[in-house]
Amino acid sequence: MSNNEALVICRCEEVTYGQVFATAKEHQCTSRELKLRTRAGMGFCGGRTCRVMVDRIIESIVPNTGEGEIPLKYQPPIRPVTFGTAGDNNG
Amino acid sequence: MIDVIVIGAGPAGLAGAIACAEYGLKVTVIDEFVRPGGRLIGQLHQEPSGEWWNGVKESTRLHNEAQKRSVDIRCGVSVYNLEKDKDFWNVHTNTGTLIAPYVLVATGAAEFPIPVPGWTLPGVMSIGAAQVMTNVHRVEVGKKGIIIGANLLAFAILNELQLAGINVEHIVLPEKSPLSQNAGKPEEVLKSLLNAAHLAPSPILRFSSRFMKNRGFRKLGMKFYPKSGVKVNGTPLQLRKAALEILGKDQVEGVLTADIDANGNVVKGTEKIYEADFVCIAGGLYPLAELTVVAGCPFQYVPELGGHVPLHSEKMETPLEGLFVAGNITGIESGKIAIAQGTTAGISIAKYAGKGSTDITKKLEQALRNVHTVRQNAAIQFNPEIANGRRKVYELWDDLYGKEQDSLQEIG
Repeated sequence: MSNNEALVICRCEEVTYGQVFATAKEHQCTSRELKLRTRAGMGFCGGRTCRVMVDRIIESIVPNTGEGEIPLKYQPPIRPVTFGTAGDNNG
Repeated sequence: MIDVIVIGAGPAGLAGAIACAEYGLKVTVIDEFVRPGGRLIGQLHQEPSGEWWNGVKESTRLHNEAQKRSVDIRCGVSVYNLEKDKDFWNVHTNTGTLIAPYVLVATGAAEFPIPVPGWTLPGVMSIGAAQVMTNVHRVEVGKKGIIIGANLLAFAILNELQLAGINVEHIVLPEKSPLSQNAGKPEEVLKSLLNAAHLAPSPILRFSSRFMKNRGFRKLGMKFYPKSGVKVNGTPLQLRKAALEILGKDQVEGVLTADIDANGNVVKGTEKIYEADFVCIAGGLYPLAELTVVAGCPFQYVPELGGHVPLHSEKMETPLEGLFVAGNITGIESGKIAIAQGTTAGISIAKYAGKGSTDITKKLEQALRNVHTVRQNAAIQFNPEIANGRRKVYELWDDLYGKEQDSLQEIG
């Protein structure tokens, strides 16, 4: 792709294609490790927007990935909630 | 006391709730949107039979039916966690925790974008967002639009935008990259469109589909594919143009495009700017299964179904006791199939709950057959291999849980 260094992949955490790609290349890692290293997928939307792209970047760099297990973990809360709500202080 | 909590008030969830309520179960449906119907309320298209599929009407029918059976529907409620506590499922929501022995997860699908330089500019949206703005909120998304990505979802929504009098001037491909994968390769795009040739948006594609199934012809066809595109209801589908960048200072002003070869490689020196005030990116859909993941359900990757799906049987049960699924969470298909699956799930739940008389098994079999019939007659098939994908999942289920199931049934 021609003009992609600064292309934003994760909008919540403002992580660019350049950052994600370089990190994946350097560490030849899993989607999960890529997320933890770059914060792509760790923002407000819980990775709903960029998770497919993070997986695809790994697939393009690390052979034989994807397929079986869900590459990026999901953890509660899967929607943004206040600490009060998560702590069951619904009043 | 609630017997069944249904998460998602779309076609699958409402149909499931109705089926459960018909067997006397007490049902609560929750949905994070302000009104029930899910993605139904954005849908409007004409079937090959000439009949119109009006999603709003369909959702009103389901909603009324559910209300008639005293289903408690709560909108504007988000579920953020789902966990089992002894015999009960705890459904944690932003308005408190609900508990019930049975949960039907019918959360549908999510859209994924294909990032394009400039895609964070105001005026760029996913194709699904354009649908919601147009058909749900009745807001004009713009005067002059470009769609990036050529797939069935894009065509269905293009048609809806046109019905609303919204002008879309071009459909182009995303530039070939690890992000766009096959969506950026003209030959692959053509192949995927031809697989659905019976509902191809253009007579030319329909006519040529038989020849184009041959790879050689397809290559040739791509070579001679007109640069100006083939018209889809008046909008040129330009399979040999890629969007390089979305341009604009404070909002979308245009898209920088270039010609591409049959493999998606940019032809240097062919750059051209198309003016636009809105851009829709049509990436695709994947099953929105996050709640079944946090609940601990095992998964399987089935590309024909749109990605990772929770393991489930044809009767819509998951390996976790009391947890059922229906609709697009089990694979990307149309709303009609979601309704049929929802009904199946509802009857399944009623059966597990010991409701109904001996004829409930027969009713369940009828519902299963109905899913097949609806699939065979479906006008919109997002993946031509859907039936294979379904078979894979059911076979895997039988391998893993089939025996256990039988013994349970004997005891029951």
